[in-house]
Amino acid sequence: MNIAQLLSPERVSRASEISSKKRVLEVLSEMLAGSQPNLSGTEIFDSLIARERLGSTGLGHGVAIPHGRMAGVEHAVAALIKLDRGVDYDAPDREPVDLLFALLVPQESTDEHLQILATLARMFADPAALASLRSADDGEALLAEIRRWDNGADKGSP
Amino acid sequence: MELTNQIILLGSAVLLLSVLSSVISARVGAPILLVFLIIGMLLGEEGPGGVMFHDVQLAHLFGSLALAIILFDGGLRTPVKNFRVGLKPAVVLATLGVVLTAGITGIFAAWWLGLHWMEGLLLGAIVGSTDAAAVFSLLHGRGLELKQRVGATLEIESGSNDPMAIFLTIVFIELLITGPQNMGLVVLWEFIQQMGLGALIGIAGGFALVWIINRLDLAPGLYPLAALAGGLTVFGIASQVNGSGFLAIYLAGLVLGNRPLQASQNINRFHDGIARLSQIGMFLMLGLLVTPSALVDVAVDALLIAGVLILLARPLAVWLSLLPFHFPWREQGFIAWVGLRGAVPIILALFPMLAGLEQAGMLFNIVFFVVLISLVVQGWTVAPAARLLRLEVPPTTHVVQRVELDIPGQQEMELVGYRLADNTPVVQEKWTSFVLPKSVRVVAHLRDKQLLESLELLDLRAGDYLYLMAAPDDLPDLDRLFVPRAAPKRLSEQTFFGEFVLNGDARLGDLSLAYGLTLPEGVAEQTVEEYIRKTLHTAPVVGDRASLAGVELVVREMEGARITRVGLKLSR
Repeated sequence: MNIAQLLSPERVSRASEISSKKRVLEVLSEMLAGSQPNLSGTEIFDSLIARERLGSTGLGHGVAIPHGRMAGVEHAVAALIKLDRGVDYDAPDREPVDLLFALLVPQESTDEHLQILATLARMFADPAALASLRSADDGEALLAEIRRWDNGADKGSP
Repeated sequence: MELTNQIILLGSAVLLLSVLSSVISARVGAPILLVFLIIGMLLGEEGPGGVMFHDVQLAHLFGSLALAIILFDGGLRTPVKNFRVGLKPAVVLATLGVVLTAGITGIFAAWWLGLHWMEGLLLGAIVGSTDAAAVFSLLHGRGLELKQRVGATLEIESGSNDPMAIFLTIVFIELLITGPQNMGLVVLWEFIQQMGLGALIGIAGGFALVWIINRLDLAPGLYPLAALAGGLTVFGIASQVNGSGFLAIYLAGLVLGNRPLQASQNINRFHDGIARLSQIGMFLMLGLLVTPSALVDVAVDALLIAGVLILLARPLAVWLSLLPFHFPWREQGFIAWVGLRGAVPIILALFPMLAGLEQAGMLFNIVFFVVLISLVVQGWTVAPAARLLRLEVPPTTHVVQRVELDIPGQQEMELVGYRLADNTPVVQEKWTSFVLPKSVRVVAHLRDKQLLESLELLDLRAGDYLYLMAAPDDLPDLDRLFVPRAAPKRLSEQTFFGEFVLNGDARLGDLSLAYGLTLPEGVAEQTVEEYIRKTLHTAPVVGDRASLAGVELVVREMEGARITRVGLKLSR
């Protein structure tokens, strides 16, 4: 699977002025809403928050993958944000989160949804990927790192 | 003069050799106790050592003493929190389980060897107890942890089934000598007396010891000795009034290990060492005592009896004893398989000799051989069995440099040291936004042998040393930051617990909405915790799993008996 395909330059950014979980989810929701003519940022935020209520989507090691499944979404889209300072995210290791990858999937595609999430979780457990994302200075560099990982991962799998 | 020096040299050389051999045995996975036993046999009358040792009385004295110390140490290091899931099954295994194992093995032995049925049961009782210390040292040596339910059950069982086996052995010897009149009544009365008095004196003695030690003002080196002397006094008092001294000293250790205790770290370290010394000494001595060539005569009999014990009696006893507890089959299988026999049966085999029973010599040789087989076959396969049955959980703590600080009147604090490397998470992932747990303070940060001025930890590099003050509860969190991921892939947190985390009180209906899962009838209103409990039929522990509509739920964190966090595993 190609992770970069889920993103676009408008949906990848680095932010310095965000200091709460709620705020970072709002920003991600707005970024995602840009690609969804039928949905508002608030609706997307509600969907992400509904999932957070079941348990934090933090993976540990400063990473979170907030995700939601919504009617009106045509195909899976994602947004990536890197924070200069981590925010408290109630993650399983109790550490603040500074890398967030938000994913929105259509209501119909359930198995695909699970597969994308599993792939993302694998990528964000890779120390090398985390190091390179953390060294990226802006949205462009972040996207380039994701592409690089996509290529590497494709070569790695048979 | 000359002889004294020679004995000292020989004794210390053997001890040194035994200690060093533990390194090799850990590497090849051989049970260390087997190595000690073999060293003892090599030293003995038929090996190159040529030492003649046949003093059964002396062997019995040292053996009992060593056993008492080992049980005391076992009690000291058994945390009471393990009792939640392990106590009841372990107690049934240690009582009913031992009776069943002894009965089945004994009846077979009586039939095969053509003994009186009571002599057969005596043999069964002698080999009735298990040794879990060997199991744990094997697993810990490889940085592996067992699921709590299995680990706790095995640990408590092995601590408490020795008194039962000892009791049965003594009762059968008495009955063989006096004849089986009123057998049921005698056994029952003895049981109540031994176990009742043992438990009472052990627990009361333990509390008394805690009280005394906490009020003493001694040189630091004397606290462990006070504890040891106190423990052995409890053992002696209980035995004198015809209670079970072994049960008493185990329980006294348990009380001591789980109450706030002055100098507890000193006491624990000392007892770790003295228990190991006891183990080495006991096995060396038992190796010396046996006449290896005599084992050949009983080889076939012993093989058959060991086969019945390992493949029939223990599995059947475990299965019946654990019926009320609904253990998953993998866990039952593992508990059945690691019924490892250690030194206790060999010590117990000395009892008939002391009592002057006719068949004592043959019994001793058979028991010795059975223990050898058990150590080789079961001891060697413990780690692979745990892996095969998928009973390991990701280790929570790792070996780092730790100093427990004994601050009077304070909660427990430790000074922990970490050496950062290229593959330490904070370094490798360029992870700078981490925070330390609330109670942790940075004490020192060293680079190139220099103390750094700043303790902010903003710039961490490979090769740095970090020293932190922390409460023991925070160590797993610190390890996640500063210890490289060493667990094999199958035990990495993501592979084991799954990609995401759910709260125990999340409703399944909401879960199915978030992921589009097709739930089975009538579970939508249940919480994740309720669903796991219903699927398991037994008290949950970390690592328990339940399938749900194509995904897997894995118990990840517990607070007491409550499931607080559950892993959600999407990929198979």
